[in-house]
Amino acid sequence: MASQEVPVWVGEVEEVIDEASGKVYLPPCQIACPLGEDIQRNNGMIALLPLDPGEASRQIIEIGDEIYEKNPLFPICSYICGLCEKDCNYKDQTGAVRRTLLLRFLAEYYLSYLKTKPPIAAPTREKVAVIGGGPGGLMCAYTLSKKGYQATILERNSELGGALRYIPQYRLPQNVIGTTLNNLLRIAHIEVNFGVSMGDGSKTLDNLKKDGYKAVFIATGTPIPRPLTIGKEQVTGADLAGVMFGLNLLYDTNQGKVSPQLFKGKRVIVVGGGNVAFDVARTARRVGGDVCLVCLECEDKSCKDGIPADLEEIEGGTEEGIKITYSRGVEEIIGEDGKFQKIKCPRCTSVFDESGFNPELDRSDVIYLEGDVLLVTIGQALERAFFQQEGLLDERGRLDIDPLTLMSNRQEGIFIGGDVRRVGFAAEAMRDGVVAAESMDRYLNGKDLKAGREKEYKAAAIPKRAHYKPQPELMWAPVEERLNIEPFEPFEKGFTLEEAAAEARRCLCCGPCVSCKACIALGLRHGSPKIEVDEDACVRCGNCAFYCPYEAVKLVYPGAASFDLVYCKGCGLCVAKCPAMALKLESWERERISALISKLSSEMEKPKILVFRCQWGVFPPLDGEFSKNIRAIDLPCAARVDILHILEAFQKGVDGVLIAACPEEDCKRERGSREAQRSVAALQERLGQIGFQERLHFCTVAPRCVEVFDKELAQFSQRIADVLAKEAT
Amino acid sequence: MIVTTQKPLDEILDFISPYKYILIAGCDGCTQPPRSIKEAETLSQLLELGGRQRNKEFTFKAITVVKQCDSYLTATALKPQLDDVEAVLSLACGLGPQTIAELFPDIPVFPAQNTHFIGMEEREAGTLEARCAACGDCLLALTGGICPVARCAKSLLNGPCGGSKNGKCEVDPDKDCAWMLIYERLKQQGKLDLLKEIRPPIDHQLSGWRVRP
Repeated sequence: MASQEVPVWVGEVEEVIDEASGKVYLPPCQIACPLGEDIQRNNGMIALLPLDPGEASRQIIEIGDEIYEKNPLFPICSYICGLCEKDCNYKDQTGAVRRTLLLRFLAEYYLSYLKTKPPIAAPTREKVAVIGGGPGGLMCAYTLSKKGYQATILERNSELGGALRYIPQYRLPQNVIGTTLNNLLRIAHIEVNFGVSMGDGSKTLDNLKKDGYKAVFIATGTPIPRPLTIGKEQVTGADLAGVMFGLNLLYDTNQGKVSPQLFKGKRVIVVGGGNVAFDVARTARRVGGDVCLVCLECEDKSCKDGIPADLEEIEGGTEEGIKITYSRGVEEIIGEDGKFQKIKCPRCTSVFDESGFNPELDRSDVIYLEGDVLLVTIGQALERAFFQQEGLLDERGRLDIDPLTLMSNRQEGIFIGGDVRRVGFAAEAMRDGVVAAESMDRYLNGKDLKAGREKEYKAAAIPKRAHYKPQPELMWAPVEERLNIEPFEPFEKGFTLEEAAAEARRCLCCGPCVSCKACIALGLRHGSPKIEVDEDACVRCGNCAFYCPYEAVKLVYPGAASFDLVYCKGCGLCVAKCPAMALKLESWERERISALISKLSSEMEKPKILVFRCQWGVFPPLDGEFSKNIRAIDLPCAARVDILHILEAFQKGVDGVLIAACPEEDCKRERGSREAQRSVAALQERLGQIGFQERLHFCTVAPRCVEVFDKELAQFSQRIADVLAKEAT
Repeated sequence: MIVTTQKPLDEILDFISPYKYILIAGCDGCTQPPRSIKEAETLSQLLELGGRQRNKEFTFKAITVVKQCDSYLTATALKPQLDDVEAVLSLACGLGPQTIAELFPDIPVFPAQNTHFIGMEEREAGTLEARCAACGDCLLALTGGICPVARCAKSLLNGPCGGSKNGKCEVDPDKDCAWMLIYERLKQQGKLDLLKEIRPPIDHQLSGWRVRP
């Protein structure tokens, strides 16, 4: 039952170990998120945002504060990351819950609050250095700061962000990066030294030790664009005028150094099939180019040689007029008078084999692609010289790092992570930062670097549901606007509050309640779902096991029903269906509801109307005309509606009982709303036999539908008033 | 399970209206859902409301019995509850009121259920359907586990009859033809030969009225 006094953020999430497998049991989205964001919990809270916009925005900031704890870069992630969506259980139904857009919705509110967010406690411990101010380095510095260390970032450029600065602004606006990072430095007391390069006669790790840094995290990324190669040789012609690296175009465009008509009237060929290649192609398109993209991979994303770029990028790029040539390599860059003219492209018959990336080309099937500009975007590499000088590479020239702790196997106290270790998503680099920070803390405290850190996860399966709601379409500005009117503005429309709440509600809450606790944090329940079984009363009928939507109940004869509370989500359907009254659901015990019915009945004026409603519905307060004679009891789901409570209400002088359940397609349980309707209908029929049927009404109200709820209330109030008037005569 | 349905409240109210102190005895036994303590309490509340409409006040006591067809269990459960009780309302199948009437011949006992048949629940459809006719001469071994006595409208032992149409029975287009089901099942099991044998009529003496275990 909602009690508003409960402060938000009680109910710290807990880790659950799945008994059968011994693994940490979590929703798949949270496992997929490199930072382990509490996505299910966030979704629950967004779905339950108050109807009042002011209160809602306060709650949004609180949700943001919570995400910030784990990920202070979340406003940035909300534009560029979607790893959790790839593993969402909803994906195979009607499409993943759009976490990225939900996060962006939160970020839009949070960014304006960020400037006033108070800083964390000032550092008191040793000095630590972080080389590289990209996502990995920033996360490491933040995590170390939270642990009390004095973190300094050494950045070679004049601004932070690393690889983020290559992302086109139509995907990630620069001001989002700026606001997020500037405030992070302030909030976490992170110092930054700009323009510091490592190696090449400048600073060395020894220098840093002498400067008093007790541990160092190296996250210098992969700033060197890879040239086109064939076999082990570089492709000839890379020095022709008009041949350049796509990465440089991205950086320069973001720096405002590129003329808006740079490629007007020019045919641009982009080589590469990754997301960055699409960034380059779409940027080239936005500065007037007639763009074609050529890649080794084939069109079918599901096969081993499929194009690696995200589907949205391919669709977006195609819409914007980018032509894609699949399954072609580049054997030669051909020019005339020192100027780029065309590339020779043999068919690529296989990209990956058992050894990994090892393209095979069919030289008998060749085409030539002609153009004015060639943008090579086939990946990036690290600055090998520095690592060589510092002796951090192994005999085969690879970084020698412990993958669990990220400490160099060659030098103690030196930690390495992010893209420099393995090129990946920003969030993966950020996880490296967090991992390294934990290792550095253990290292500096003389603790075991590895103990208890290897964890295995088990993803929660999809809970049954009667209806799967369709995924909202992405709303993109029309191509014309994207290319010509505001080419470097984000073109994806974000969620409004109501859209966000509706989308968050699609979340199936696959994970266990104890590692979510959104309901507890919002004061909707007192503790994680707990079902008590009175074993003497249990008649072993098995109804609980049959009705449970989460397979949380087992019935093994001759024993009583037993519950695995890891799977139970506390909807209360089993309690309502138990013919022996042998089950008790914490927070909604029979005695508690009975006491509440007595209390509410005594404070109402006639005609007294009691509403049982689902907590997921989000209803307006019962004020104004409703305040005198209507009271409501919030249930974890309409499924918990108990016919005994309805009858008890009548016994205690209530004149009418209204059940407001969610429509079946909105019900978070497989059959919560439907079973509530069935039970109420059966009771209604029996009430009809004694002339009481008018006093009970079942209605469905879609979540957050204030008008429908008010209308149902008004109609039912009138009906009860009429019944009472008729009885009086 | 034994399939019962609730008697209309009016009828029950007519039974009990001469009395004031009434014991409602649930039964945890065979029905689905069991008419256990929850139904006993629900019925007491409904009858109280119904009594109010008739200006009649009752005092109910709701209990439940593991199996009302077992006289020992019923006696043990009811005996301590009978002080002041003027009538008993049984939520069991037809056996319950009979057990109670035999155990406590001084107290009037009334059924709160109508007993239909031995059947099963079709949970998705929300219906209960007859599956066993208690004929005393079980022939399920020959019919692929489908009982024609309970499920064929004519209880034919050598079906189907001419009223079988598209797998449905002529008495009700919603009702499956039991013999069509049997045919399909035996075909699936490769035992269609079983149908060639003509079965003699059921020996109704076997169902009888009394047997020795």
